[in-house]
Amino acid sequence: MQGFPRALKECLPLDRVLLYSGPPCPLGASKGDSILRHLLLLSFLILGLWPFSSFAAPDANTQEEKLVKIRLLPERATVKGGETLWVGIEQSIAPHWHTYWRNPGDSGTPPRIVWTLPEGFEIEEILWPVPEKLPYEPLLNYGYAGNAVFLQKLRVPEALPEGPLTFSAETEILVCKEECIPEYGQYTFTLNDSQPSGTDSGAYLKAALEKIPLSVSWPASFTEKNGRFVLKITHDPQKFLCDETAGDIAFFPVEWGLVDNTGVPQTNFSDGQMILHQKRGDRPLEEVETLNGVIVCQSGDGTRQGFAFVAEKSAVLAASFPHILRTTDGERTDNIWVALIFALLGGLVLNLMPCVFPVLSIKALSLVKIAEKHPETARMHGLSYSAGVVLSFVLIAAVLIILKAGGAQIGWGFHLQNPYITGGLAILLLLIGLNFSGVFALRTSFGNIGGTLARREGLSGSFFTGVLAALVATPCTAPFMAGAVAYALLQPAYIAFIVFAALGVGLALPYLLLSFIPALQRLLPKPGRWMETFRHILAVPMFLAAIWLFWVFSQQVMPRPHPAEIMSLGSAYSEAALAEALEGDDPVFVEMTAAWCITCKVNHAIAIDVPSTRALFSEMKVVYLVGDWTNEDPAITKFLSDSGRNGVPLYIFYGVRNPATGERPAAVILPQILTPHIVERFIQGEIL
Amino acid sequence: MNHKVVYFLAAMVMALVFIGASAKAAVEIGKPVPNFEAVDIKGDTFRLDDQKGKIIVLEWSNHECPFVGKHYNSGNMQKTQKAALDAGAEWVTIVSSAPGHQGHLSPEESAKVLEENGSTPSAKIMDESGAIGRLFGARTTPHMFVIDEKGVLAYAGAIDSNSSPNPATIEGAENYVLAALEEVKAGKPVTRAQTEPYGCAVKYGK
Repeated sequence: MQGFPRALKECLPLDRVLLYSGPPCPLGASKGDSILRHLLLLSFLILGLWPFSSFAAPDANTQEEKLVKIRLLPERATVKGGETLWVGIEQSIAPHWHTYWRNPGDSGTPPRIVWTLPEGFEIEEILWPVPEKLPYEPLLNYGYAGNAVFLQKLRVPEALPEGPLTFSAETEILVCKEECIPEYGQYTFTLNDSQPSGTDSGAYLKAALEKIPLSVSWPASFTEKNGRFVLKITHDPQKFLCDETAGDIAFFPVEWGLVDNTGVPQTNFSDGQMILHQKRGDRPLEEVETLNGVIVCQSGDGTRQGFAFVAEKSAVLAASFPHILRTTDGERTDNIWVALIFALLGGLVLNLMPCVFPVLSIKALSLVKIAEKHPETARMHGLSYSAGVVLSFVLIAAVLIILKAGGAQIGWGFHLQNPYITGGLAILLLLIGLNFSGVFALRTSFGNIGGTLARREGLSGSFFTGVLAALVATPCTAPFMAGAVAYALLQPAYIAFIVFAALGVGLALPYLLLSFIPALQRLLPKPGRWMETFRHILAVPMFLAAIWLFWVFSQQVMPRPHPAEIMSLGSAYSEAALAEALEGDDPVFVEMTAAWCITCKVNHAIAIDVPSTRALFSEMKVVYLVGDWTNEDPAITKFLSDSGRNGVPLYIFYGVRNPATGERPAAVILPQILTPHIVERFIQGEIL
Repeated sequence: MNHKVVYFLAAMVMALVFIGASAKAAVEIGKPVPNFEAVDIKGDTFRLDDQKGKIIVLEWSNHECPFVGKHYNSGNMQKTQKAALDAGAEWVTIVSSAPGHQGHLSPEESAKVLEENGSTPSAKIMDESGAIGRLFGARTTPHMFVIDEKGVLAYAGAIDSNSSPNPATIEGAENYVLAALEEVKAGKPVTRAQTEPYGCAVKYGK
């Protein structure tokens, strides 16, 4: 109380004496001599509102003098080892005064309770009863008036000492009418007393438990739309008491600032979903990922039932448009065997990717040369190479899993978001290209691609060729891979490792088979002079790959305008841009790409940035949004994972709003390999 | 298209967005604050726009609120104020209590409270109508705002990280206003630019 500053240096306001040693302020101690203040004190005295506490620290569980009378209510008077019991903390609040919920709303502060427990005892978090909205114009608080019982579960240790056990709670409760007064107190109760006192609170606490919101695990998400907060809950109709006919539905967010507390929520119900709109508060949505909240439904007879839920922030939620995704390429799976087959197939296809293929074809041809004389050695090379590939994939998976566990918003291809890695890979591919073209002969383990394979130490060379193949394969996403990787990253670590290892086995398999099966070796042309020329030719894709990686590197280290995809016909993806686009009626096409993603670039060049598709987009008024994942971008990673993916490319098409129903059809994920025809069929709605 | 042209167009679009947004919300972090003009308790006219080039701290107060008491009786608010004034900032204490409500004072009484507290703001304004409070969306006492030299809102929220009314909690709490002042002074963006204000409700009239 700013009005008593001088006095307070020597004494404490009466209500604080309870907790602090030192003399209380005598009533006349105020040196602020304003008549107003005297009148105020006088009125307090007359009305008996002044929290005129006894000066001794209280040990009883009630103090008649307080605005908030506290009682500690254990469920029963005796306990045995290993049991749990409820403890109620009852607030009886003086008429016209109120205390606060865990989110106090526009002002105030929640009550605090600090327990001192006998050794070995533990007490769980407070369960807060359903709060009320307490308007104080132009503000609004969340809190309690009258009577409120907090509940905490007490855990009794196995080994329980003999004799009475004393539990004490220090409380700090802010109670307000127009003015606010903090009340401090210390309260105790005893269990296993030889002469138990007081009545059994079991039945009373059971009734109190009814007022605690029912904790539900219904899927819930929240977002912002047109300056309004939007919450969507898919509820269980058997349990949910709110419906269109419910008189009053209130929303109490535990997180502050997301909604304007004075805002009146509007609700819509359809198909087991409740969508709630409320005016947004001033806190940025980016600050909150997970929202705890309570929905309170008041039925006709005045009973109020609360439901406590946890909602995740959604990038693409729109009130009239649930984000239900359907895939068309059959790549999504929740079956480990299917995931393993996808991984194996994906790995096989990786062999054909532009930077992997040259390395392997040279390797394969030299293998034939060895196998003629030393079939045993050829098999060893096959195994070394496979080990290199598989171990690399497992290592990449391990790093990915560890970083994700640490909270990093990353996905497949994450290492290419690092310019050091793209730069290093570019130099590596350049060196290999130079080696192929005969500019210089490398004798390092990477360079062992030529004729020295027959030597025993060449095995380490094969191993590192495997590592190299895995590394240069990562910018590519093959069909089937996305489903397998997405599945793997949602599973426990050991399953993820198995799936990634399967991907590696797929990549290694052709060479491995070649090294073991002479019949396959005979299918390849005989080694000879032509191989030199072939090497020179294969240097070309290596150089191209190197140039491409240098370009990616430059994109990462230099400030850049929007990527070509956006410049050509679209606009940049953001949560807000998508939400706005979905708000409208026109179809929406989202492309998630990255400079280092070859598959993305190829798709864009042959299926999207072509005259026919461009014409189609403008004819159908398609809103085209491009997300660029070249560098780390949590918002895009979030969109990918919301769509069940962990990497790019990702193409999602949101169909045009049906004018009759006002609804959009479910969004569809396009295949990862596109042709203009595929795109056209999706946009024309032939595949839905 | 030439890149420069693209950047220019992008900047134009952004500018339009800003203008649109500022018309919607009164004050927002990173946006210019609206101007106000008021007569302070000494009878001088205070214009916010006249302070451009200086950092400004706005403090919402109500001398009878225990949370205000928490920070004045402990000397925490005076310490924060001194740090701001020493850094060349202006400190404006605003009381938006309506007549007949808690914290409303005559200019003379208001000056006396300052004297008793050892508080030396650059200006103290009795905002009886609550117009300035509503303009800034002030909800609690204390509710703190830091405005940078360009007149852009750099911080809004609580004075510190512990919302307890207990003065013993000041020690160990993070003083958000001091942290914001330091970063604004250094020309850096404020790390924690918005926090939940705590305290008594501002006693606006109905």
